[in-house]
Amino acid sequence: MTEAEKSFTPPPGTAPIVQLKGIAKYFPGVIANEDVDLEVMPGEIHALLGENGAGKSTLMNILTGIYQADAGEIIIDGYRQEFASPVQAIAAGIGMVHQHFKLVQAFTVAENIHLGWDETPKRASKSVLESRTEDLAKRYNLATRPGATVSDLSTGEQQRVEILRVLARRARLLILDEPTAVLTPAEARELFRALRDFVAEGNAVIFISHKLDEVMEISDRVSILRGGRKIATRDTRNCNAHMLANLMVGREIVLADMRGRGPHAAPISKDPVLVLDDVCVASGTGGNALDQVNLKLHAGEILGIAGVAGNGQRELSQVLTGVKAASSGKVIVDGTHMKSANAKIFADFGIGHIPEDRLHSGLAPALSITTNAVMREYDQAPVSPHGIYNPRSATRLAREIAEAAEVMIPDYGMPVRNLSGGNQQRLVARREMRIADKVLVAAYPSRGLDVGAINTMLRYIVELRDAGAGVVLISEELEELLNLSDRIAVLYEGKVMGVVENDNLDIEEIGLLMGGRTKAGEVA
Amino acid sequence: MFSSFRIQRLPSSHPGIALAARLAAIVIALVVAGVGIALAGMNPFDLGARVITASFGSSFGMEDLGVLVIPLILTGLAVAVGQQVGAWNIGAEGQFYAGAFAASAVGLFVPGEGPLILILMFVAGLVGGAAWILIPTLARAYANVNELITTLLLNFVATLLVYYVATGPWRDRSGMANSATPPLSTSVPEFWGIVHWGFPIAIGLAILVGAALAFSRWGYEVRLVGSNPSAAKYAGIPVRKHLIMVMLLSGAIAGLAGMLEIAGTVHRLQGGISNNFGYLGIMVAVLARGSPIGVIFSGAFMALILNSGIVLQTQGLTTSVVLAITGFILFLTAIGDELSYYRITREKPEGAA
Repeated sequence: MTEAEKSFTPPPGTAPIVQLKGIAKYFPGVIANEDVDLEVMPGEIHALLGENGAGKSTLMNILTGIYQADAGEIIIDGYRQEFASPVQAIAAGIGMVHQHFKLVQAFTVAENIHLGWDETPKRASKSVLESRTEDLAKRYNLATRPGATVSDLSTGEQQRVEILRVLARRARLLILDEPTAVLTPAEARELFRALRDFVAEGNAVIFISHKLDEVMEISDRVSILRGGRKIATRDTRNCNAHMLANLMVGREIVLADMRGRGPHAAPISKDPVLVLDDVCVASGTGGNALDQVNLKLHAGEILGIAGVAGNGQRELSQVLTGVKAASSGKVIVDGTHMKSANAKIFADFGIGHIPEDRLHSGLAPALSITTNAVMREYDQAPVSPHGIYNPRSATRLAREIAEAAEVMIPDYGMPVRNLSGGNQQRLVARREMRIADKVLVAAYPSRGLDVGAINTMLRYIVELRDAGAGVVLISEELEELLNLSDRIAVLYEGKVMGVVENDNLDIEEIGLLMGGRTKAGEVA
Repeated sequence: MFSSFRIQRLPSSHPGIALAARLAAIVIALVVAGVGIALAGMNPFDLGARVITASFGSSFGMEDLGVLVIPLILTGLAVAVGQQVGAWNIGAEGQFYAGAFAASAVGLFVPGEGPLILILMFVAGLVGGAAWILIPTLARAYANVNELITTLLLNFVATLLVYYVATGPWRDRSGMANSATPPLSTSVPEFWGIVHWGFPIAIGLAILVGAALAFSRWGYEVRLVGSNPSAAKYAGIPVRKHLIMVMLLSGAIAGLAGMLEIAGTVHRLQGGISNNFGYLGIMVAVLARGSPIGVIFSGAFMALILNSGIVLQTQGLTTSVVLAITGFILFLTAIGDELSYYRITREKPEGAA
């Protein structure tokens, strides 16, 4: 077996390439990492598994010198090290390939490889750089075209350039952040082969992922992070996807069930108010960001959307609110097939939208608080009676919204970007709830809010549901989804993996679906 | 005890401080210019007094200012309107020529005279300016081509086109001048000395556009598109439609400036008729921070500077010195604008009682 021939077993007593001891990192009000121990041995591919916000990125940023730990030690080859900057981490043989590539698009592959590298010859012609790159590519077995401009390369090729860039600097530990998220299956297989070759020479890889199947496939050991702490490290061959899913999401769920209805609450309607029928949305890179999605939302219910961020949530909220058109399939609002995307028509119908990146697309940061607050109602009385926009009425409406959102505002004429992020979010949320008579699409409504504000926000959502609106709640907080949703749909790579009733729900099942597996165990 | 000072950047500047910073900038520039003039052996106070009497001391001086301010307000307004929708119209110069060209064509070749011809010239100026920005507009709206480049490059085309017709096919063959068209039969009437009705039109248009932006649904939508197109898209506002309409409006206003210049001030089409009004309009708009009402004031300020420059030249200062002084004033004004965002705060040192 070739795999076995290639594998590298360190002699007994070998020091780990990297050892982290008791690492902690605190941000204001947040524990990003606490008491994290991690050992990576030569010759191993070590997977780091965890949900969004579990602390994977912070931990890797500490290891690569981008952040400095508030407590704990980094030990490289048995010696304690402190990295004040990424340059020192690279010098110690630790290199990282980020999810968003850091290549200069207008430069060639060879230029990118040699950029900011102290081994780059002082006076080098194009052909020297290219032949050096050619040699490197051969040595590390990563096929690239040295003379090609990076912007002309496919994502997979760009990733190879990033990896080559790191390896050229003699990295012995390669950290990859969700490397397959941007790859086709064939490219992913090729990457896995290259990683196997790399560790076979006594190097190591840390592989960050939330995809259970590929963790099972590629890694030798796996460490699970949750809430900033390391929960466990396991030999992968002793694990199965179920176990990992459990470890990843199986936390103490704080049940504050908000699903119960009062006597006056509107019942769940028989007919759906919003339907997606086989909807696909093309992504920029040629695939589908949403792939044949079928969903029905009834009035008076909360439909939770679970899933790791970046699996089509943005496109889902856009297609539900008319910001983006479906490339195929039907969007049916209250029985009417919406043939084209027009956010205004959707909003006028009573569909509110708390967007994922509300600070960028929900607000115009440079314009006044008043201007931003009336974005949904600027064209109707009382703000614009007879087509005349009345700034004074607009400010009155803005004040109303701000008071409902419990945001203190000294001056309604100042740019909205002067408000804190949390207050900007509350304003957007309140503005959208005002118009959401029929439907509210809320993407990560509690992101960036403190605990008190989250409770207020969730209470608003429940009030809206009781008033008879249908709510689509997109969230990465499982507690939130379990406490509020009547049903939960799980998105994975643009597909709805399943829609489950939130009733004695098996959390492990949600975890499996989020990782791309169905309960029966077949791969999506 | 020492106390330490800290410089802080504020997210927005206080209007009073911004105004004070501008006044300070002008004063500093004048002092520096005065020192320079004194070193060159002239009396700066004497020159200053002459500039003031020449500009404000007689009705002739005021009339000169009044005529000069018209194209400056309009080209400044054209640029400011573009900024409102998030487009940099660097091509007001070209649209100015295009408007002048189209209006001259009407004035020279449509028989008759009187109000009807005047109205036709007015429309021709607007259409000419809008036509000149049409290609950059469509390229930006449909292919996201940067309008900075396209509008700028078309300036040279328009400038040379006017040179060509003024010295070639439309040349005045009767008179001595061979670099201009014959006088136009119709002109914009004057209402005070040499100041024609373009003056109230320019000011009225600036107020009208300012009011429309502040007090109409259209204005609200345009401001949103200009400030954050993705927020506008999210709110269901037709981003492309507004971008196209407002850019065409911007071109039309610059074209109107060209029409008023040939029909009100110069009365014939000639090469170099714009005097860089299009480029100065960029400065006017920047000084006004993109505000249409502000353009009236910054346009007047710019007219005063240019007029002072003309006066100084008659007093024996060379053009380069005059340009240096005007440039210096604008330069310091821009610095003053930026500085008005900063505040110096004093911190008591730790442990101080």
